Amino acid sequence: MSRTQTILLIFVALVSATCARQRGGRNMVLLPVKDDPTVSFRIVFRVGSQNDPRGKEGLAALTAALITEGSTQKHSYEEILDLLYPMAASISEQVDKEVTVFMGRVHKDHLDRYYSLLKEVISEPAFREDDFQRIKTDFLNHIQNTLRYADDEELGKEALSSFIFRGTPYEHLEEGTVTGLKSITLDDVRDFYRKHYIRENVLIGLGGGFDQAFANRVKADFASLPSGSLETVPAPKPQPFEGLHVQIIEKDVNATAISFGFPIEVLRGSRDFYALAVATSWLGEHRNSFSHLYQVIREARGLNYGDYAYIEHFPDGGRRQFPPPNVPRRKQIFQIWIRPVPNEARLFAFRAALRELQKLVDNGMTPEQFELTRKFLKGYILHYAPTTSLRLGYALDDHFYGIDRSHLELFRKLLDELTLDEVNAAIRKHLQYRNLKVVFVTRDAAALKEALVSNAPSPITYATPKPAEVLEEDKEIATYPVAVRPENVEIVPVDSVFER
Amino acid sequence: MANDAGAGFFPYRYEVYRLANGFTAILIPMEGSGLIAYYSVVRTGSRDEWEPHRSGFAHFFEHMMFRGTKNYPGDVYDRLVTEMGASANAYTTDDYTCYYMIAAKENLERVMELESDRFQNLSYDEAAFKTEAGAVYGEYRKGRVNPWWVLEEELLNTAFDVHTYKHTTIGFEEDIKLMPTLYEYSLSFFRRYYRPENVVLILAGDFRPEEAKPLLERYYGRWEPGYTPPNIKPEPEQKAERYKEVQYNGRTLPILAIGYKGAAFDPADKMVAAAHVLGEMAFGENSECYKKLVVREQKVQFVQADFGFNRDPKLYVIYTMVKNEPDVPYVREEIDRVVAKFRQELVAPEELEKVKSRLTYGFVMDLDTPGNVGGNLAPFVALTGGIEAVDTFLNTVRSLQPEDIRQAAEHFLRNEHRTVILLKGVK
Repeated sequence: MSRTQTILLIFVALVSATCARQRGGRNMVLLPVKDDPTVSFRIVFRVGSQNDPRGKEGLAALTAALITEGSTQKHSYEEILDLLYPMAASISEQVDKEVTVFMGRVHKDHLDRYYSLLKEVISEPAFREDDFQRIKTDFLNHIQNTLRYADDEELGKEALSSFIFRGTPYEHLEEGTVTGLKSITLDDVRDFYRKHYIRENVLIGLGGGFDQAFANRVKADFASLPSGSLETVPAPKPQPFEGLHVQIIEKDVNATAISFGFPIEVLRGSRDFYALAVATSWLGEHRNSFSHLYQVIREARGLNYGDYAYIEHFPDGGRRQFPPPNVPRRKQIFQIWIRPVPNEARLFAFRAALRELQKLVDNGMTPEQFELTRKFLKGYILHYAPTTSLRLGYALDDHFYGIDRSHLELFRKLLDELTLDEVNAAIRKHLQYRNLKVVFVTRDAAALKEALVSNAPSPITYATPKPAEVLEEDKEIATYPVAVRPENVEIVPVDSVFER
Repeated sequence: MANDAGAGFFPYRYEVYRLANGFTAILIPMEGSGLIAYYSVVRTGSRDEWEPHRSGFAHFFEHMMFRGTKNYPGDVYDRLVTEMGASANAYTTDDYTCYYMIAAKENLERVMELESDRFQNLSYDEAAFKTEAGAVYGEYRKGRVNPWWVLEEELLNTAFDVHTYKHTTIGFEEDIKLMPTLYEYSLSFFRRYYRPENVVLILAGDFRPEEAKPLLERYYGRWEPGYTPPNIKPEPEQKAERYKEVQYNGRTLPILAIGYKGAAFDPADKMVAAAHVLGEMAFGENSECYKKLVVREQKVQFVQADFGFNRDPKLYVIYTMVKNEPDVPYVREEIDRVVAKFRQELVAPEELEKVKSRLTYGFVMDLDTPGNVGGNLAPFVALTGGIEAVDTFLNTVRSLQPEDIRQAAEHFLRNEHRTVILLKGVK
């Protein structure tokens, strides 16, 4: 999630350079790249929103933001901005459920000055009241205005995650809840920092044009962080559920964003994960016309801008072409993301996607689909980590998942090894279409509830002619059964989402 | 034509290869990356939509470019791109449309074959055309919930009377609704703008120019020239300040946009470079204005300037999001105070040096992968037709003195040349 509104085009970065990953000992991952004129930093702390105390939701994210956007004991935030500016460098943070990462990249010409500042920012934050108030209002604005009103797709996806993980430490948004944020005090931030920003909790990542002496220095510096005891949070166990459970977020919109899914039992590193990754890529590769759902809903019917499927968390998908590293999780969900469709086509689009999921689960992939996807992914995953900083991010995630060799290398290797039978077995084992949680962001929630509960047909008409086979298939889609019990539909006004 | 690597700011050696039909390729070998980035820059964007009720067409047409040819129908094209595992997409801006494909280096000829084919032989039927219009409308609906989208529409529509910058790249909604009826027009759009003289290829990555040149001749050499320039009317000089309040149908903090009429991009023009630096110095992240309004007084969520580059004079815009509506007049006054100061006083030379350092390091650091080279050079190529503009522009920046910044402020930041939009959400 990004709290910053960006109005610039984001260009996609792609390339790979040869380099060898080295272990810098425990708590350190080194990725030296000879001739790289820059150095990339990723400093990971094993603390995330799952560590937020009850009633203080948002504390981990607020603490991290105060570190990167606040003053230190030596420099005011204004002075830090001044120091970073001529280097064209920045220090940013990303907080997910399990980890917090501080990131930056700098030209070697400025390495010493930049690193001194980075170290100071992380190890000597001032936690000033004025910085705290500034960032807290920023967080509240993000939830109350931006997320609830300016980005229905992200709202739907975050609401789905919250719906599936209800009652677990994964339930709340990383940025917190409105009441949680309001109750956080500066003392809470200081306590949280003291408890979690300890040397036992840090994993240092360095990439690019640094030498061993520099790596040793960084290692020694972070080894001098205070010592403490690690807080262990049990992996989340979402409540089991049966049937279709629907949350309708009601707001005045002319297009409906839809997300649905369920928890899965596989994680990166296991063979089944990669088998499932092949199937998910075919069903709905992120923002790629290769996605089968995209072909059915957008390409053949022109109902929206795109339709995709996932087995790993993919934050801010509307703004990214490839998944970001350093959002590792111990529990993932399978989900389908249907970009906004006209309100009158909302139930039809949901049925179309669900029907495709059923076809995949019941029939598996065909040999042709399997071969094509395998070929596609072998080239396509080269684009996941083109820069040193991204490769470093992946290497740090390998540490989290306990993957000895690189996840992306393993992925490529298994693409050669996996068989169609294995993939179809993984689909049958891990995917299903009967027990789902669904979020609609739409208007006239009562009418949608009525249609879902009564399993009413939802035919659509097109402004432009469509081929006969599309119209024929539409008849099946429009009456595809959705069995929803009335008690399994909740209608939520948008202003109460992420409130508490 | 070739440069010497490291002689200027641009860190790689490159060659410019021109075909007899006017097609230009910029060849930038980057050894060892294993990938090639293939960026086809069409120097046509929403700026070129000069005919009535055709706004949004350049972007719509970008979608149609994925519908295939007789040699490679859409599904075959998709399949071949898929088999390569290429990262392929496109985007449209006000001044240009960019198609990119990034793939493993061994695919160079296949990529060139596919890309050159669709630029010369695009073919689609009316039904496919109409379906794609639905996807474009979906893209519009998806974006329209965002207050920035609403703000941008209103800012451009208010600031311009006759120039095509009056509309955003996605176009006016009523024009998007018309799109399904414009099949014939789409064919003429292709004939006029998708011509070799109007397209520049940036090829960066793991290849040798000597292997690329014969391929360029083979695949692009027979492309018929015939570019027809658009009939864009120049915007008359604005005589008085314009102000508009716009209601956004959702919750948001008030957003203020102040857009001053700018200049056409010319990399050698000191005033253009000075204006860009001025935006940074007056409203950038380490500006006094930012520190005061964002950090110390906390009156605004952020303030930022977009004094960007355009083919024709567009807008230099200051954006800010105000935390409490009653503070909007104060924030406006504060911005006015900053403008007045920059018009009258000289900036400190050491502050100017910081901006020069940031722009130079920022630019070079962003050229780290073939894809980033393609993407970051595309605007320069689109606006000027070549990449010599990069060094020229950064040299112009390097030559700037405090008086240049003051002159740019005096020249551009004039009340009678500005449009102020205040966007408010529902209570």
